[in-house]
Amino acid sequence: MEAVLLRARGVPDSRVIATYLAAGGYEGWKKALAMAPDAVTREVTDSELRGRGGAGFPTGRKWSFVPKDHPGPRYLICNADESEPGTFKDREIIEHDPHQVIEGIAIASYAVGAKTAYIYIRGEFVRWARILEEAIEEARRAGFLGKNVLGSGFDLDVWVHRGAGAYICGEETALLESLEGKRGFPRLKPPFPAVVGAFGKPTVVNNVETLACVPHIMTRGAHWFASIGRPRNTGPKLFSVSGHVNRPGVYELPLGVTFREIIYEHCGGIRGGRKLKAFFPGGTSAPIMTAAEVDVQADFDACGQAGTMLGSGGVIVLDETVDMVEAAANVAHFYAHESCGQCTPCREGADWCKDVLDRMVEGHARAADPETLLRICRFSSSGMTICPLGDAYALPISSMVNKFREEFDRRIGTATPLPQKKLPVLPWAGPRPGFGV
Amino acid sequence: MPKLTIDGRTVEVAAGTNLIEAARAAGIEIPYFCYHPYLTVVGQCRICMVEIQGQPRLAVACATPAAEGMVVKSETSERAREAREAVMEFLLANHPLDCPVCDQAGECLLQDHSMEEQRATFTTHMTETRRTFPGYESRLIGPHVIQNQNRCIHCSRCIRFTQEISETSALTYKSRGNSTFIDTFDGKPFEDPMSGCAADVCPVGALTVRGFRFRKRAWKLRSTPSICPGCSIGCNIFIEHHERVVYRFSPRENPGVNATWLCDYGRFLAESFNEQAYLHPQRRVSGQLARATWGEVLSALSTELKAARSLRVVASANLSNEELYLARELFGRHLKGEIVVPVFPGEPRRMKNGKREWLTSTDAHPNSHGARRLGMATVDGEGLVRFLRGAAGTTVILDPSAHPSLASEEALQALGRGPLVAFARAKHPVADLAGWLLPTPSLASNEGTFVSTTGSVQRFAPAFAPPGTVHRTATGAMSPTCPTIASPWGPPGEARPLWVVLSSLAREMGVATLDLSSPADVFALMARTEESFAGLDWEELGGQREQSSYRERQHVG
Repeated sequence: MEAVLLRARGVPDSRVIATYLAAGGYEGWKKALAMAPDAVTREVTDSELRGRGGAGFPTGRKWSFVPKDHPGPRYLICNADESEPGTFKDREIIEHDPHQVIEGIAIASYAVGAKTAYIYIRGEFVRWARILEEAIEEARRAGFLGKNVLGSGFDLDVWVHRGAGAYICGEETALLESLEGKRGFPRLKPPFPAVVGAFGKPTVVNNVETLACVPHIMTRGAHWFASIGRPRNTGPKLFSVSGHVNRPGVYELPLGVTFREIIYEHCGGIRGGRKLKAFFPGGTSAPIMTAAEVDVQADFDACGQAGTMLGSGGVIVLDETVDMVEAAANVAHFYAHESCGQCTPCREGADWCKDVLDRMVEGHARAADPETLLRICRFSSSGMTICPLGDAYALPISSMVNKFREEFDRRIGTATPLPQKKLPVLPWAGPRPGFGV
Repeated sequence: MPKLTIDGRTVEVAAGTNLIEAARAAGIEIPYFCYHPYLTVVGQCRICMVEIQGQPRLAVACATPAAEGMVVKSETSERAREAREAVMEFLLANHPLDCPVCDQAGECLLQDHSMEEQRATFTTHMTETRRTFPGYESRLIGPHVIQNQNRCIHCSRCIRFTQEISETSALTYKSRGNSTFIDTFDGKPFEDPMSGCAADVCPVGALTVRGFRFRKRAWKLRSTPSICPGCSIGCNIFIEHHERVVYRFSPRENPGVNATWLCDYGRFLAESFNEQAYLHPQRRVSGQLARATWGEVLSALSTELKAARSLRVVASANLSNEELYLARELFGRHLKGEIVVPVFPGEPRRMKNGKREWLTSTDAHPNSHGARRLGMATVDGEGLVRFLRGAAGTTVILDPSAHPSLASEEALQALGRGPLVAFARAKHPVADLAGWLLPTPSLASNEGTFVSTTGSVQRFAPAFAPPGTVHRTATGAMSPTCPTIASPWGPPGEARPLWVVLSSLAREMGVATLDLSSPADVFALMARTEESFAGLDWEELGGQREQSSYRERQHVG
């Protein structure tokens, strides 16, 4: 398919506003300003655009949740805290085409009535934060942002806010807390951010890729967007493919393409001619899929039906040399380190999983370990925690235990007992035990 | 007013009530750790999981408001039971389980819920090395609070308390995930004027009060409802005592006054309740104090006072309404004496009520408002000295701690000019001048009412009989007043509450109307004769019940 989101990749000076304007940039913003905010939301709803951050929630519906009659300020937040393992698509968009994101932010802000927008960007993305700040300055000078945008009477300020390095701050309510200058703890929901968000005001949080789709919907129409992909799973999607493939990288493909096509056609197959063993369809938070499931379509609904999720589209490919116990330990280490520590199952469970898997990797597995892992995961997921981080570690680990159980059992068969620490025997200092002392 | 069904019991609650409170109203207890009725709901301990009909996932009861027609399953839901058992397993996985040496044992929510929730047959597969926080096992984080981070269950109640109630934000989380721990913000000492409450709200033994640590097991304590004597706000407290020794004060719930809080100043007045410097009535005979009996005191004193040329009485805003009333009637009306109530402003103190509004104290006495309500003349320190310097005559001091000026040189000089009758408990220089020195017990052995800053009349109950009185134990046996070992039955002696002495004096003097046998009778008389107390009923003032179970006493953990 033609490149949409990544059309600027390879174009010289693609980040400069002149290049963006020459390619038809900010036309969508001009068009939106001439429409009523509700009409803009309707257009996005009609395009069936679904959030690209991981959950796949319909974007137009999210915008429509903002109370129309709310008197005070409201905010739009662009979530650029891309921190899901194996995901690097937002960085690619910002690297090549920051104005596309800014235009999307402008249109979304107009649709929800926000006069202030924040880009919450991952702290490690220093270079990309600078790129965005330069692009915002360019757009402001060109009159696309600031007071009275293009003579429409609409004011819009966009600010870049750098995160402080926590995975959890990609979760929208933790992001809001962090943006407010607090500890990145996810909030209890309801109320949802659309009603009580940043600084207690209605707030919409959208992913970079979601917002980058919006200018194209405005210029080329909802109908065109909906014609890409398949029903309810429309539009182009960026897949960041990593792992044991010949050509890892970011690929722009219509939703609904099969994982076989992504891995074998676009990425040139498995490195070294080895066999595919398993893959994560959307970052390590998504339950793992085996080689037998490679013909599943890469979209929200098909992945959901296959018991996993498309997530952020970060495809991590594992070949036959990978030891699943070690892979699970790797995943557990990440989540044990990134659990915020707020609610019990995730705080205690993620670390417990890590300890069990570490012990298995070291060759000291116990017979009950797989069942212990499954129990921990069962009670850390599906509503047991405040935010989805509980599911994010529990579902992949339980899927790895379930789908590759024989590898876990093999560890038990070859296990050696954990060496016992010898405790020093202290001399008894008191009187001799017994009566008559 | 939504009506809902919890475990088959239908209950109607106010709109906005959460499921924990709704269940409590229906007589069902849903376990919780992080929930506290006067703090923000965070829903992070996840123990209060319930099943709600029509919802696929379990919900946390603390954050779910009751809705019309809701059908909730708590104890009857197998899913909820399993989930709670799992949460208990998670919490106990890294808990040191050092209950035998933990000071919180007996009043620990974790201990209680693990006994209630987990089946005896439950075994965990947790075999990993337990998480510990070396250096944080017994750390004095402020003047009053000791932290043991190993026991912490990360409920964040203490953090929310310092953020929302004391407004110092002195405590905070540090680190992340399983290494998260509680620390003082910026590493500064935890010098919060209400720091003891952080230990109160702690459901486990992670924060404990230094002064109480290892002094008495929680289950041995009896709790008597009382009023804090520290200032005029009148915070509701429990006097927690065992065998006539007061061990601590703990806040008693009252949304209108102190919610469930208590300031450190008031909390640590508990220790002073055990002080009893004067044990027997004494009379000065040729310059030396000699022991007398109450019988001698009453007959001699009534004659002396009746014969006095002029009579000056220094009352106190630390006395109960009943005592002030008896003093006013007996000394003021019948003996035509002059009576004043000294009032000392003291340090400003404040307290947050259930609506999170600050109440401020006007003075350092629990009952200055009661004295004003009874129409008694109040004086400051200078006025008191001027009063004492007036025409010489017999002086009666009902409470030497009424004002610091009473210990001043001018006051003592003025008191030395004439006969002096002093009631006292703690050591005070007026004792060296008094012709009659009469011991009074602490508030723990007294009964009566105080009027708070907000104008409400609050009642305090006697925790134990005054020192020296024969005490009947739970088994019915009479306990002897042991002459050698003071501790089991409190200090030996014959201190009597002031109202007892005043009403006995009235009998001795033949004032039949004031010859009353209990503070309740005095209060009934006040309600009949005093306009400002009209219509009040002793029984309805609350604070009459002694409670032994800490759960009943303090459902906020």
